[in-house]
Amino acid sequence: MKKYSVINTPVHNIDGIAKITGRAKYTFDITLPRMLHGKILRSSYPHAEILHIDTSKAERLRGVKAVVTGKDTLGKKQGIWRRFKELCDEEILARDRVRYIGEPVAAVAAIDEDTAEQALDLIEVEYKPLPGVFEPLEAIKEGAPQLHEHAERNINVTRHIEWGDVDEGFKKADYVREDWFRCSSQAHVCMETHCAVADYTPEGKLTVYTSTQSHYYIKVLLAEILGLRENDVRVISRYTGGGFGSKFELDSAQFCSSLLSMKLCQPVKIVLTREEEFTATKRRTPMFYYVRSGIKKDGTFLAKEARVFTEGGAYTAMGATALYLTGFFQSFPYVWPSYRFDGYRVYTNTAPTSAMRGFGAPQATFCAETQIDLIADELGIDPIEIRRKNAMYPGYEVPGQATIQSCGLDQCLDKIDEWIKSRGKLPAHRGIGIAAYGFMSGGIFNWFDTPYAFSSAIVQINIDGKVDLYVGSQDMGQGSNTTMALICAEELGVKFEDIRLHMGDTENCPVDLGAWGSRETLMQGNAVKMAASKAKQQILEFAVAKLTPNIVYDLDIKDGCIHLIARPERGLSYYDVVKEAIRGKDGQPIIARGHYTPHRKGMISPAYSFGVQAVEADVDPDTGKITLKNCVTAHDCGQVINPLGVKGQLEGAIAMAAGYGFTEDLPMDEGKILNPNLVDYMLLRATEMPETTVMEVETYEPEGPFGAKEAGEGLTNPTAGALGNAVFHATGISIKNLPITPEKVLNALKEKKKK
Amino acid sequence: MGYQCPVCEKIWPDTMELARHVFGVGDQAHKDWVNSKGVNFIELLLLQTMEPGNKGYKALAEILEKEAKKVD
Repeated sequence: MKKYSVINTPVHNIDGIAKITGRAKYTFDITLPRMLHGKILRSSYPHAEILHIDTSKAERLRGVKAVVTGKDTLGKKQGIWRRFKELCDEEILARDRVRYIGEPVAAVAAIDEDTAEQALDLIEVEYKPLPGVFEPLEAIKEGAPQLHEHAERNINVTRHIEWGDVDEGFKKADYVREDWFRCSSQAHVCMETHCAVADYTPEGKLTVYTSTQSHYYIKVLLAEILGLRENDVRVISRYTGGGFGSKFELDSAQFCSSLLSMKLCQPVKIVLTREEEFTATKRRTPMFYYVRSGIKKDGTFLAKEARVFTEGGAYTAMGATALYLTGFFQSFPYVWPSYRFDGYRVYTNTAPTSAMRGFGAPQATFCAETQIDLIADELGIDPIEIRRKNAMYPGYEVPGQATIQSCGLDQCLDKIDEWIKSRGKLPAHRGIGIAAYGFMSGGIFNWFDTPYAFSSAIVQINIDGKVDLYVGSQDMGQGSNTTMALICAEELGVKFEDIRLHMGDTENCPVDLGAWGSRETLMQGNAVKMAASKAKQQILEFAVAKLTPNIVYDLDIKDGCIHLIARPERGLSYYDVVKEAIRGKDGQPIIARGHYTPHRKGMISPAYSFGVQAVEADVDPDTGKITLKNCVTAHDCGQVINPLGVKGQLEGAIAMAAGYGFTEDLPMDEGKILNPNLVDYMLLRATEMPETTVMEVETYEPEGPFGAKEAGEGLTNPTAGALGNAVFHATGISIKNLPITPEKVLNALKEKKKK
Repeated sequence: MGYQCPVCEKIWPDTMELARHVFGVGDQAHKDWVNSKGVNFIELLLLQTMEPGNKGYKALAEILEKEAKKVD
């Protein structure tokens, strides 16, 4: 007999048909009566004082309805780390100083986009250019231009993590290795660019349709910066065309459209262009890493010291979280008896860096996994065995940081080892590299300072047995709607098709902190399971009289049948009992609430995924060109909820992470991004995708719903490291500077030949 | 026995832990206290990361050893 009726069976996304038939309305598709179109004027200077803005010519242009500048704002600085006021450092519409190319300085609402665009050319901004600083290691030098008054030497955030006696560990080590790495930036490249339609009415209510990963955050941040009460702001986000970390902070489209709409009492729509998306939204954090490791000659890890400077860009954004997580995941997924991390996030006159899928962990994993293969090579130890020797295990406590409850890393290593052996002898210039990884299932620290539970859900069972499920989580394409419906159906013992999901609207959905940090399956999933369980309990109370168990807990619902757990053949129709239950409750539908907030689970996350990835690649010794052949991943995400969803996440993650590893970058000249378009920004294309295979390693995570944990972001962590190691095994050269381009490979091969 | 933070009065088991607390909080009050001891808060932080061996923390711990109130 199958353990579960609904979960662990592949299903297509609950909203898939609406999406592929074009019925799904994204913010981009929203049109309201009397709607105007907005455009944003952005700074062309990386660092300058704003002396004067003259909007009069733009205001006189036929078709222009309003122009706003920083003077029309309340002058409040905002940020998502609300618990630390110093880190709320961004005004969105600059009033007296711009700090990066692309920073908004004015916005226009007009009858159409062309008119709004024309009006931007008529706005005259008088700047006084200031010296800029673009690299973190330059920005910390004495005498470097200072971006913010409060940040001496441009140091924005620091993080220190330490356990064990690191210095003693190094003394005991037989072998010590140190390396410097440079991890590059990356753009999120969501299919749907940032956009918003704001509609303010004379009654003082603001409704904002927007593409976001957290409608709750946007509601609170907008209310705060616009001087409104929280519940006078409604945020609607039914469909979001990709997020990857770029859409849970307040953005210029949301803020400027709201400001313009409040001025005009008319709806205003702003859709960022692809160029704005590249230059004026946030991006993956470039990092300069120093890693030193002390090892015994048998491969046992003893001590590790890591130091990092991250390029923060002009504002804090989610950079503080990325700094902490990169420090924590630098030690992952291994047992390091002693570890010390010092991280510094530094302000620079570049577009702000922030969250992006993996949240600092892909950078850490690239450095750590590259170094482990170099150590294994020098000590003559097999790359699988050195990892196995030091792998985390169930019950391991990361001192002062986390407790690992479920961990299938050892089984993942077995599967990858088996696959590598099955490949036999490889042709010339081909290598297989591996990387092990882990990731969080949602964050614990309440930096947003919410008074609410981290996740909430409401279940309503109707007279026909159909279920309305209200969730606060946001599906941005990752499939969380489907996951929630599956969890609800499994817990209630009904069909997947019986669930009708309501999400993406702050007016009628409970609060959830949103889709980031791989939190939805575990956190929102637990809230859904609790709500469904409470609703089920109400139904079972009505079935007790007929089935006469010793106690109500002897009953369960499965496949639409209410039965004694010990005698599943003896049962009642769920649908009949629901009718009776509703009649017995004064004709009211059955309603229950669920919630989840992690507690007593350490500093980082309540649960961690684990995995190992192998990348097989060819390297052309004449051109340096890398061709991906295979990418095989053994992944432990606890109990799989939707196997098709996991596969989708894995394939998407490989495309994104391999792009980070060897094609994508955001080169700059004095703060100006040089490739802000899809021609010059080299996204990995379908033809460059390797064969992908996912091997699930099932474990049971006690903290997760039905034992589930994350399967979204963690999958982006290993690929750059595994790819770099494949190049190392194919050629003997190790590139420590991402992305691993043909030029870097060729130059390194030439250097090697010279030696 | 413990050591009391001269700024917020939290108690820590030793001066290294207390130094980590001072750098970790890093608000203006803690920065001002460190700067008033004839050293520069930011310089100590940079010393910590530019050279191996926990030098920044050790330097601050030495100051705290003399300056912080010992409590039972």
